[in-house]
Amino acid sequence: MSELDLSALPRPKSQPWQVRNPKNTWLIAAASVLPMVLAVIITLVASIDPTVATILVFLPLQIIATVSVGQYIYGKKGRGDAILVIFTIFFSTLVGVLLVSVMFSVVVNGIRAMSPQFISQNNVYISPTTSLAYGGVGHAVLGTVLIVGLTTLFTIPLGILIAVYLTETRGRMRSTVRTLVQAMSGLPSVVSGLFIFALLISPNFGNATGFTQQAGWVGSIALFPLMLPTVARIAEEALRLVPQELRNGAYALGAPAFKAFWQVTLPAARSGLITAALLGVARIIGETAPLILTTAPANNTNLNVFEGSIATLPTYLYSYISQAQATSQQRAWGAALVILILVFVLFSLARVLGSAKSTKAKKRK
Amino acid sequence: MTQLQDSSGDIPPRRQLRTKPFSRADRVFYGVTKGASSISIILVSAILLFLFSQSFSTFQTQGLDFITGSQWNNTKGEEVFQIGPMLWGSVLISILGIIGGVPMAIAAAYFIEFMAPKSIAKVATVLIDLLAAMPSIVIGLWGLYVLTPVVSHWSELLYTMHHVELGFASFDIPLLSMANGKDPNTFGGTPFIAGWIVAVMIVPIITSVTREIFSQMDRDLINSALALGGSRSSVFMRVILPTASGGVTGGVLLGLGRALGETVAIFYVLNLVSDINWFNILESKGGSIASLVLQKFGEGTSEEVKALMAAGLVLFVITLLVNWLAAVIVNRAQPWRKI
Repeated sequence: MSELDLSALPRPKSQPWQVRNPKNTWLIAAASVLPMVLAVIITLVASIDPTVATILVFLPLQIIATVSVGQYIYGKKGRGDAILVIFTIFFSTLVGVLLVSVMFSVVVNGIRAMSPQFISQNNVYISPTTSLAYGGVGHAVLGTVLIVGLTTLFTIPLGILIAVYLTETRGRMRSTVRTLVQAMSGLPSVVSGLFIFALLISPNFGNATGFTQQAGWVGSIALFPLMLPTVARIAEEALRLVPQELRNGAYALGAPAFKAFWQVTLPAARSGLITAALLGVARIIGETAPLILTTAPANNTNLNVFEGSIATLPTYLYSYISQAQATSQQRAWGAALVILILVFVLFSLARVLGSAKSTKAKKRK
Repeated sequence: MTQLQDSSGDIPPRRQLRTKPFSRADRVFYGVTKGASSISIILVSAILLFLFSQSFSTFQTQGLDFITGSQWNNTKGEEVFQIGPMLWGSVLISILGIIGGVPMAIAAAYFIEFMAPKSIAKVATVLIDLLAAMPSIVIGLWGLYVLTPVVSHWSELLYTMHHVELGFASFDIPLLSMANGKDPNTFGGTPFIAGWIVAVMIVPIITSVTREIFSQMDRDLINSALALGGSRSSVFMRVILPTASGGVTGGVLLGLGRALGETVAIFYVLNLVSDINWFNILESKGGSIASLVLQKFGEGTSEEVKALMAAGLVLFVITLLVNWLAAVIVNRAQPWRKI
């Protein structure tokens, strides 16, 4: 009797469940391309409206093609998958087209108005028909920076303190506060403006006049309820990412809660908290309705947030948006592009600073 | 070998375990955070209190008709302020936005999480986050000059189908026809367009919540369903959707809250008319509470401004309830977020 060979069989080089029949690859490629080509040809030949053609010619063709290929390759269960794939891709494409359309149109239309003096000059002596060579959003940029900066000054500490209360303490109001903060993130911006107007500007509680006139700082306060939930929620996420072991280590060494937070948790969560601040600023930088209700528009540059009328980018855009003249509309697009750039810069900064920590952590390992 | 020393003197005495803060610094620390947190409670109460104190006289003079009636007259002495059409308009536009936005958002989330290659998924996530931060006035500008012509064209196409002729009877489809039966001369400023705008604004919110829920799902659950012979579609319908339904519902409610409160973007694309438009979504006539406030505020009389405060209060109460419900549902659907 020969000896049994008990060594293991060699593993197959290829993974049989991943092998695709090349014929099927060709079928799938054909099913993805042919219906579109056919639909374009039919649309051009019969000169149908493109929207109608998409829904009445392209989609049925695509469904027939994909379902029959699915049926051929996978049998009965291929049909459902084919429909799932078509609808997912159709709706995702729709989302993508809408999103790209927003950005594309702002960039393309805004770039026509863009020039150095559009960024630097203010709006004095500018009528709706003045050529784009004069005037710009300089005063509005400054106003936005001042008003948003003032809001940031008191909102970020408060937002972070709320996040600290939610993560670092065992207070009894935690679940109430958490739910309330989440509910406040859907606060309509116009209600925030109305509230501050009712509180500070309109006559109330028997006074003949309000506490103050419309001014930049009132606008800052009106932005506060909109920014606070964003900062608090993202800061809460950031603090929660700090491993519990770090805190426990600090406590075990005898640190009181305050020191453990100040010297261990806060440095560990720093980049996340910076992200929270930046995204909070991005949230309010384009808010319009509260500023319309609480600040007075201006054409000149005003650096005093505590008195007088002051312009901001959103209110500038608001005043030009529905003017009939082409140059005014271009100014509106230009202002929109400036806002978009600011949001984009804040987002990129948040990404870069937010990921700075993770690379450092990797190196340490 | 060194002599072992008696080190019992160095061992600190056993500490007593306490849950209350020991030191003054800790007490201040806890006190400050607690104080900051109570600001959120104070803020919501203050909004309710001040808007109510300002609008009390309006509720007194207008009565329940403030909510249900449909007149708006600011002439001195014969003031009538009623927000029925605006309230219904906000609801109608939000429903349209949800109908349009939810399939798009779920499809986008499914695409990002389960279909797309990693690089595309990353880009798409960033793009959607960026759109979520897009100021509504920029969306309004885009909606006025870019989306309105396109959607007006779609409306025109839909309107051609409003009249149905069967052999024995002919009738108008209520949704697609006009209230007075006349042909319209414009398809701009309709609730249909405003619904599209709202859809664009809430898609990023619903997508990011849904994507988060999808990404935290137990992969073993999906893989075992596939191993049992399930197809992608049956796994989606029978495993993914039922498991994620709570979170998705919460995300939709969050979107609804934003849709109801949307102000500036709708202001530009909707023709605000104080006459109720029940379901004729292609008619250039609609309402939105938030946009009403923006429209009437500038040159409002003092009585009118009070009525607007009342309208704002109604809007705030509705959105607060919707968002509260959404927050509770989302939190329940994401147990991993709890400490």
